[in-house]
Amino acid sequence: MWEALEQTSWVKTLGSTGWMYSTVAVTHYLTMFWCIGSIAVVDLRVMGIAARRRSLRELAEQLFPWAWIGFAFALLSGFLMFATDAGDWAPSRGFHVKLTLIMLSAIFALIVQRGARKWAQDPEVPRAAKIVALISLLLWIVTILSASEIPALEGLG
Amino acid sequence: MHDTLVWFAKWLEGTPWGLMTRESIWAYPFVQLIHFTGLSIWLGTNFALDLRLLGLGSRRATAAQEAQELFYWNWIGFAIVLTGGFMLFSGIATAFIGNIAFQWKLGMFVPLALIWHVVVQRKARVWGQTSDVPGIAKFAGLTEILLWICVVTAAVEIPNH
Repeated sequence: MWEALEQTSWVKTLGSTGWMYSTVAVTHYLTMFWCIGSIAVVDLRVMGIAARRRSLRELAEQLFPWAWIGFAFALLSGFLMFATDAGDWAPSRGFHVKLTLIMLSAIFALIVQRGARKWAQDPEVPRAAKIVALISLLLWIVTILSASEIPALEGLG
Repeated sequence: MHDTLVWFAKWLEGTPWGLMTRESIWAYPFVQLIHFTGLSIWLGTNFALDLRLLGLGSRRATAAQEAQELFYWNWIGFAIVLTGGFMLFSGIATAFIGNIAFQWKLGMFVPLALIWHVVVQRKARVWGQTSDVPGIAKFAGLTEILLWICVVTAAVEIPNH
């Protein structure tokens, strides 16, 4: 099935046309940084070490839409990159780990986004919220690490 | 000038961190992690200000507040980018300085984007006093986003040259 995807004509065109593949790769990196950076700032705010004068609710409402737009573009461009070499990516253990980590990170981001509304009403951000934000931040860092390890360990990408 | 650069690149490759980045299989992904984590914070905070200048997204905070409140983490992000980037560079410095995409990135786009960013960040405190910003501020915000796209494009092209 993945081999078939790799062989479809539009995927072959994408994989063999330098500027097309580069455009997709640039989109992937750029929107991924944008997404993670936006979420990280909210996490740091929940933890009480960034933009403390700014209301948590307001900051979350400003940055999370950017985070999810970035996430959508990173996902789409990531799928396109995957498609050009799908036969090799699909069975990769490292890639499975990366996808799992992305899912977990996104779930924690959602928890922080929903929680921000509640936590912002308290005079002090609850301790449990700070721990959730820390986990969210660490998950993104581990996700980036997993992505960097795939070429190092498996020679893919 | 070029000789000095080559000498410097060779020296960097022989430093402990240069050797580590190049020769240790486990070190390289960690160094890349430093660079990418910093980039996330740097670009995330940059774009938050640029998009606010463009008047996109939530407009409850002014651009002036945005510039001020994200200032510290913006530059902490940059310090992390620089640390990781310097280590990546040290690993294969001589190859990098001879790479045309790298030359464009470090010789042209990064200095330009960086200077532009400093100006935008400073001027945002004047432009962004009220909710609506002048046209010049929108232009400045859009230009900064485009400049960072150029930087990332040049970076992505490095392995192709």
